[in-house]
Amino acid sequence: MPEIPPEVPPKIPTALPAKDEPVREDPVITHSYAGWLLVSSFLLLVTVGWSLYAEFFGLRPWRDYQRRFGDAYTKYLKGQIKDQRKLEDQVYASADYKKLKGIADQAAQATAAQDRSIAEQIAMVDDQRAAIADAFRDSRGRVGSLIYQYQEVPVSDKSEKQSRLEKLNTARKLVYKVDWPLGGGRVQSDKEFNYDSLTSTFTGLIAQRARLVEQRGEIDKPAHDAQAALADYVSTHLVGLSSATLDGLLHSAENLNVTLRQVNVNPTGAQINWVGGAGLVDRCQSCHVGTDPALVPAGMVLTKADLGMAKSHDVPFTSHPDAELLADHPLEKFGCSPCHGGNGRALDSVEKAHGRYEHWLWPLFYPENYNAGCQQCHASDMVTEHGDVINEGRQLYRQRGCIGCHRYQGFDNQDEQLINARQELHQLATQKTQNELEIPRLQKRGDQAPDNVTAQRLYAEATDLTVTDSRMDGQLEQLLDHTHNLLQEVKKVGPDLKEVRMKLNKDWIPYWIGYTHEFRPTTKMPQFRLSQDQIQAIAAFIWQSGLTGPPLDAQNPGDAGHGKQLFESRGCLACHSIGEGAALMGGNFAANLSRVAEKENYNYLVRWIHDPRQRTRPYCPLEKRDIGPEDYAKHNLPYVFDLDHSRCPNDGTELEVQQPTVMPSLRLTMDDSRDIASYLMTQKHSGMTYASADYMDNPALAVTGKALVRNFGCASCHEISGMEDEGRIGTELTNEGSKPVERLDFALYTTDAKRGILPDGKESPRGPWYDSKGFFDQKLANPAIYDQGKFHSDPLEALRMPMPSLHSKEERDAVVTFLLGSVDPSLPSQYMYQPTDRRKAIQDGWWIVTKYNCIGCHQIDIGQKSVMMTLPMYQGDAKANLPPVLTSEGARVNPDWLKGFLANPSLSATDTNRNGVRQYLQVRMPTFYLSNDEIRKLVLFFEASSAQAQPYIAPQVPSLTTEETAMARSLFTNPAAPCLKCHMDGNPAHDLSASAPNFLLARDRLRLPWTERWVVEPASIIPGTAMPSGLFRRENGRWVFNGPLPPALQQYPGDHADLLVRYMFQMTPQEQAALVGKTPAPPRGTAAHGAAAGGK
Amino acid sequence: MIRSKMLLVSGIALLLVLGGCSKKTEDEGTETKEATSSAPATPIDMSTVGDVSGKITLNGTAPTLKPINMSAEPYCSKAHPTPVTPQDVVVGSGGALQNVVVYVKDGLGDRTFDVPKDSVQLQQKGCMYEPHVVALMAGQTLQVVNADQTTHNIHPIPKDNREWNKSQPPGASPIEDTFARAEVSIPVKCNVHPWMKSYIAVFKQPYFVVTGADGSFDLKNLPPGTYTIEAWQEKYGTVDQQVTVGAKELKTVNLTFNAAASGD
Repeated sequence: MPEIPPEVPPKIPTALPAKDEPVREDPVITHSYAGWLLVSSFLLLVTVGWSLYAEFFGLRPWRDYQRRFGDAYTKYLKGQIKDQRKLEDQVYASADYKKLKGIADQAAQATAAQDRSIAEQIAMVDDQRAAIADAFRDSRGRVGSLIYQYQEVPVSDKSEKQSRLEKLNTARKLVYKVDWPLGGGRVQSDKEFNYDSLTSTFTGLIAQRARLVEQRGEIDKPAHDAQAALADYVSTHLVGLSSATLDGLLHSAENLNVTLRQVNVNPTGAQINWVGGAGLVDRCQSCHVGTDPALVPAGMVLTKADLGMAKSHDVPFTSHPDAELLADHPLEKFGCSPCHGGNGRALDSVEKAHGRYEHWLWPLFYPENYNAGCQQCHASDMVTEHGDVINEGRQLYRQRGCIGCHRYQGFDNQDEQLINARQELHQLATQKTQNELEIPRLQKRGDQAPDNVTAQRLYAEATDLTVTDSRMDGQLEQLLDHTHNLLQEVKKVGPDLKEVRMKLNKDWIPYWIGYTHEFRPTTKMPQFRLSQDQIQAIAAFIWQSGLTGPPLDAQNPGDAGHGKQLFESRGCLACHSIGEGAALMGGNFAANLSRVAEKENYNYLVRWIHDPRQRTRPYCPLEKRDIGPEDYAKHNLPYVFDLDHSRCPNDGTELEVQQPTVMPSLRLTMDDSRDIASYLMTQKHSGMTYASADYMDNPALAVTGKALVRNFGCASCHEISGMEDEGRIGTELTNEGSKPVERLDFALYTTDAKRGILPDGKESPRGPWYDSKGFFDQKLANPAIYDQGKFHSDPLEALRMPMPSLHSKEERDAVVTFLLGSVDPSLPSQYMYQPTDRRKAIQDGWWIVTKYNCIGCHQIDIGQKSVMMTLPMYQGDAKANLPPVLTSEGARVNPDWLKGFLANPSLSATDTNRNGVRQYLQVRMPTFYLSNDEIRKLVLFFEASSAQAQPYIAPQVPSLTTEETAMARSLFTNPAAPCLKCHMDGNPAHDLSASAPNFLLARDRLRLPWTERWVVEPASIIPGTAMPSGLFRRENGRWVFNGPLPPALQQYPGDHADLLVRYMFQMTPQEQAALVGKTPAPPRGTAAHGAAAGGK
Repeated sequence: MIRSKMLLVSGIALLLVLGGCSKKTEDEGTETKEATSSAPATPIDMSTVGDVSGKITLNGTAPTLKPINMSAEPYCSKAHPTPVTPQDVVVGSGGALQNVVVYVKDGLGDRTFDVPKDSVQLQQKGCMYEPHVVALMAGQTLQVVNADQTTHNIHPIPKDNREWNKSQPPGASPIEDTFARAEVSIPVKCNVHPWMKSYIAVFKQPYFVVTGADGSFDLKNLPPGTYTIEAWQEKYGTVDQQVTVGAKELKTVNLTFNAAASGD
């Protein structure tokens, strides 16, 4: 036990210390801190006051924003309500409205008494039913159970049966007393019911009520109809939100609840805290109040001007400008930041919320990069709706050859697909061999099985394996076909350099390598940074690696004048441009041909124009060399190689028989090819001479050159002998936008970027650019800057990336947008746009459409313009010479026909120097040598775009009776619809000036429903078409010919448009020939087609 | 591309090696199995064997069958100036039933028997099978001969054996095949000439016979024992009877099918 010290009483000082003792200063006693306390408590008070103020008025900027929005929106709504009221009053004051209103009121009044009486009757029936309901339920339950008990007893037990029957009958007679309403508040008390009367009364009441309700409906019908007509009138005469709705909005704006508004980014239907969500909270609407659909409904577009704030800079109050886009991406699922970037959670300041501070990886996209947000989920798209900039970025990435060096998931990966297909082939073959061994094994076991059941099972297994093997054969065939297709689909961005010796002016080559962008400012080829020595070495290697034969056919000169005419009319300009500076005309998909004569060899150019896919020698991927006539001669084979003769004579390998170019064949004659080539050989700068480059034959130089060519990745875009299998030399960019900024090499610009100093020394108007966007912007503007100021002991250590061929800020912005969007997705997989329905076909199809530049000639999407539509020679009246519009192609043509047409657009095996359908058009649908896979995808694309069901089932077209044929013929040859004046009829002279296809094609080519819509209203399918509208008018639910009716037709009760189309679908050459003589000339000077104003 | 090619080539090489190996082991496996399964025949003491004979008859009247219409194949119709009737039921004098397979169904125990080396022939002659019913042992060779100047196909449709269907043009060498499992009886048809029909009965033991025009049968060299003798007719199914055969005993068993018992 611890010892307790004895308690010592405290010493109480008995006397004051002696005066002379120095007094120890006790601050509590000697100093007054009152002043300090006063100051600090005052400060505390101020702080509390300030913090309270900040809480409610100051610090949280969104509170102020919301209040400002509330005020401005209230003002706006009041104005709107006033306008809307005025409009509504006008409508209510209109004679039509009053008339309808009168009718409605009158109808309501006329039936009011009857309606009321029936309503009373119904009410009484309801009362009566309610009165007996309890008694009825009780009685039914009692009797029901007794019936069961009676039935339960076997028939043999007669006495028990009898006793239970008596019980049952007693229960049926049991009396219930009910207070029975008689209407008008009167009640018959204690009315007596038993089981039978209860049942009959109850069912009777139900039937009576149904009858009354029906009667009431009939009586009220005129009133209802009149009311509906009135409502219909109001809704068609009033647009926008009603004043009542606006009042509701006004109420919520006036009493705006200033509160944090946030969206939890979650897939549709998920709970707010669902773990599979995006893990994102967006509070953007706390400031951007106008995007809240509860305040600004989807149908309303709110601009700054609407809010009277057009000139302010800090008013984030507009509604989302693209309501359609927002409808596809509902706010409650997507929030804001998944598309726009920024830090959706932050609210302290605009900078924080927009993510514009160091270490936030995803700052808000600037307007030029808005589309970057699409790519995360739309990574499988080549063309995304509403995404013009991202679409351009993707296309530039592919077409300007970024893809050559930088792999990107999903882009032109035929080489990877080939590897996969070959692996799959190998697996299947292995499996098949194993099965073949297993089959006899199973059969033998069956033969020796102890019992028949086992034997039957083993035999069945063997049979099943046999069938499986046979099915695998089908799979193998498909895979082989697929690899054949893939080889056909592989394209290179640049031309085949194996052919340089045949194709090019030798002295021009070093100039081109050194001054690429000077020679051709719009070229796809990037500008490399090379020394003169490097240029010479590369030129020497390229030259010496080129094929030397078999030699080209020598060509006679052609007619350059005719060539120019062909060049400008056959469709070359859809992809190629010609002319320089302001005179430049044509598309930018392929090369500008202004100076082509300075580089090209005429004989080669003729061959190229005649068949651009023709190679000098086919390439064998197995032997890894270009084989030649000598190889074919060894096997006594003619030197013929094309898509139908694509096997190597030595080993049967699938050869590359075509040049890997997307340039199609225009099916020109040799004469026409010579004419065009002769015209192109006039395209040069006069007086331009190139220094002789004899050093290109120096073998030692070529050795150096080869290393350089490999270093700079030339073989990524060009076919070069010995480098066919070179991989991509650049970094993969699929997820480049997610790369942490520390891993982007700003080199000596790191500090400047953080400070916001641009490489040109000027201050960046947007502040620091130390982020992905800043890096990409500068890299694409000049890739060399990140080498600036660095020391390289070996010149090859320098950055290799050449100056990309992005010729404007818009093009660079598009590519930057694409790269910024190329992120490792942070959203759950449900957000990824990977459709499995018909949208998948559309997604796939766009890759082909853009690969071959179909949109250079055709309008495919509503609102899209083709290159040709912008060319001077297709304006005004000449629009009729444009290639056909394909916006409804999938609904228009039979897909089986389309397959054949895409494979051979001339629709003829022998007469190929023409268009298959529109032979009168100068512009020509070329042969693209599409692979079967590509044709399939295109056909599906067109069908899906027009929402056609898959696969196509041709409708039964009832053939016409003799009388119907006669009637249809009279329509067809009617002076008011001289079909054969414009449509081709097989007479060559007439067909040259025709403007529409031959009817003989209709049956195989067209779909019936589309054609019926077409003849009735073509202008709504293809605005500006030569086909006139108004040939038929609607009459009693059918289409009637809009012109003097031939006598036979006057009695015809059917649809005239249907009759005419069915007649077209059964057109025969004989019928057409007979008609050609009969068609009367259209009356001169008057419109041939009645109401066909604007029709050609 | 280089890599993929190399992969392909090496893969094929691997495949060949693997294929070779597995084939080899397979062959070894079957050899040993066969050695155990085809056990030597159980010896039978020929001094004690007996004999069961008798006659198969039909009780009642045989159905009248419509003559076959061979007009679809001129060659066939030319071969028969007078139309032939189908051979579903062939009755001789005194109701003697032809084309009935008579055999020991039960009673032989675990005895095993040698498979005869000589083959059983089935001919196609005048677009009919000859004989209409054949019986043979499991593993015994069936030889199918086409004596016609038209193409036939032989399509046995067994329940317990392997199904096959082979074409045999005129002048082709005989088709030889065996059936591994006992089955009474396998229908055979020619899909080219739908009227052609035949039956093949397959047994694990040699005590079977197909009755001739007189309906009689004789099962010789049966070791003493109690047996179930069964008769099978394509239209009337089976009838059977038990019989005990003593040493060197000659027994008579007469079996009767009932015409009313026809399945159709």
